[in-house]
Amino acid sequence: MSGEPDSKAVAPKPPAPPAAFSPEDMARRNRRSVALALVLAGLVIFFFVVTLAKTGPAILNRPL
Amino acid sequence: MSAAFDQIDPRHDGAALPSTGEARDFFVLLKPRVMFLVIVTALGGLMVAPGSVNPIIGFASLLAIAVGAGASGCLNMWWDADIDAVMSRTVDRPIPAGRITPSEALAFGLTLSIGSVLVLGLVANLLAAAMLAFTIFFYAVVYSMWLKRSTPQNIVIGGAAGAFPPMIGEAVVTGDFGIRSLVLFAIIFLWTPPHFWALALVKSADYARAGIPMMPNVAGPAATRRQMILYSLLLAPVGVLPALMGFGGMIYLAVSAISGLLMVALTLRVLRVTEGEPATKAAYALFGFSILYLFLLFAVLLAEHGLGLMWALPVVIG
Repeated sequence: MSGEPDSKAVAPKPPAPPAAFSPEDMARRNRRSVALALVLAGLVIFFFVVTLAKTGPAILNRPL
Repeated sequence: MSAAFDQIDPRHDGAALPSTGEARDFFVLLKPRVMFLVIVTALGGLMVAPGSVNPIIGFASLLAIAVGAGASGCLNMWWDADIDAVMSRTVDRPIPAGRITPSEALAFGLTLSIGSVLVLGLVANLLAAAMLAFTIFFYAVVYSMWLKRSTPQNIVIGGAAGAFPPMIGEAVVTGDFGIRSLVLFAIIFLWTPPHFWALALVKSADYARAGIPMMPNVAGPAATRRQMILYSLLLAPVGVLPALMGFGGMIYLAVSAISGLLMVALTLRVLRVTEGEPATKAAYALFGFSILYLFLLFAVLLAEHGLGLMWALPVVIG
């Protein structure tokens, strides 16, 4: 992506990825999924609260 | 990501498994310490702005600004993974350490960039959102991809990216920019060179190995030290301006004057002590104190405006 590859530093080779997920890897990925779920749940609450703040509490006062 | 790392990354062909990085690795990609400083400085701009904002809107805007700053940090780590891999200070970052793949970091950074700008536009206003978008672009593209590897003025010009958050904070409240956030911009802008060059003096071998043209590697340590004292001498009086312009009170005046003098004194020590371990200690002392200095200035401003501790002085300027 860069036009001047010569100016780049020579980096050591990063660790190779595992051939398959070990049980520890799967546990890490599960924890990551749980964290992502919590973030998404937090976003739902965030948008709900911000919507109330933007529109005002009157949005709750409507005929059913 | 940058070409050198791209070529040697065995995971980049898409055939390998995704990484096993944890949530905290993704959090590290956001440069949490920088994010914290961005929150403090953006909140400073928000608090000193003439006017007020709904606290929930203010909090949501700060969150969007912080996430946007984190996203630009993530894009910076994605682009600079080749440099990070050869520098002792950064070798354990998630990408060079192999815990997160470059493509994951890129997707994460772009998603958060777009999301934070959209949220700020919806929650606050278009000017604040445009400013955040420009800040992300400036840090990730202008600084990381262009300036950092091409000029010893990289952190001077790039420092503007770190100085924008107070202006975004003011834009959230007023929908405009004013002289107050410009002064806060100037403080952070002038603070950046002595702060970063103190570290660059100590880590010049690291930067040389990575091929980064930092000022000590290009102009030499002596010229760098002379420029550092110039910036510190400019910073100290500019740091006091909020008190003279009526949006910093008596506590701010005292703290900014004393800590500004200390910044100058510590930079003078870096200028004088140039050899061996004492020189390293002097540089680290300035680097550490500079972080405290900036935090103190904004913390006092926040306390004065947020906790009713504002004993204003007669307006001298403005």
